[in-house]
Amino acid sequence: MNRRRAAEGFTMRLAMTPMIDVVFLLLVFFVCTVRFERNEAVYRLDLPIRGSTADPLALQDAPLQVFVGERVGDQCPIEIRADGVRRETKDFDALAITMTQLRRKAGTNEGLFESSHPILIVPSAGSQWQDAVEGFNAAVRAGYANIGFTQSTP
Amino acid sequence: MSLLYSRGPARIDANLTPLIDLAFLLIVFFVLVARMGGDQVPPVALPEPRHPATTPAGSRSRLAVNVMADGTGTIVSLGARKFARDEKGTNDLALAIAERIRLDPSIPVDIRADRSLRYELVEPALQAISRAASQVGSQRVTIRVCAIERDDLGREATDHE
Repeated sequence: MNRRRAAEGFTMRLAMTPMIDVVFLLLVFFVCTVRFERNEAVYRLDLPIRGSTADPLALQDAPLQVFVGERVGDQCPIEIRADGVRRETKDFDALAITMTQLRRKAGTNEGLFESSHPILIVPSAGSQWQDAVEGFNAAVRAGYANIGFTQSTP
Repeated sequence: MSLLYSRGPARIDANLTPLIDLAFLLIVFFVLVARMGGDQVPPVALPEPRHPATTPAGSRSRLAVNVMADGTGTIVSLGARKFARDEKGTNDLALAIAERIRLDPSIPVDIRADRSLRYELVEPALQAISRAASQVGSQRVTIRVCAIERDDLGREATDHE
């Protein structure tokens, strides 16, 4: 029998065609369905919580407020307000620098506010979410840790 | 007959082996990077701060509240469920978030809002998260704001000291 097959030139070969078909189908499926996520990153947020059971008699620091206005062209009005402090900045880099200057440095008398001092970002109703997050980012860059958003101003 | 053609005319065959090797490598790559089911979130044009001081989102599961631009309005969604931007929708969203947090208290709540939206359109989602946090106890809830960390600028300006 074997001799006859050898004589007839019979050879066993793996059928590659269906395998290649399946491989390419899988490849096309993955190429079509894959979605590469961009570098999504996060900020920890401290929202002012309604109805929290904080001690009403406890003295709390007045928050440092960062007002973010409505953008007109390239300009976005930004203002920092706190007890005895009122400063305007022209952009978010300047905001980060100003807030860094206001932060108390460890072991020195420089700065007014501890890094744990509450910071409230107060965007105006018409301001863009991008600018609100830029304000938040500036506070994080300046080294503050207790930052939240509050209700918009009209 | 010349020596060159002593075994008959030359056969031209495509060598499939490297092609199949490459195809399998690509399939293995896509299988590894594909994320089936689970944490599927809709594409949102997240804010891109110029000098991001963000932290990585991490790979653990999260509760994503998406606020997407839709023509003139917005769509607020939690998973596949969509919510209206009125008071009832905000309350329903707060209840849905609180329910999920009770099931998994350690799950972070992420706000994924379109950067072009006005703050007043994102605010109801923030209020809903705030109400949900109040309902389950604020100490237990991790709330995060999502942004895109641009590679071109990096973190070189994160500190001005």
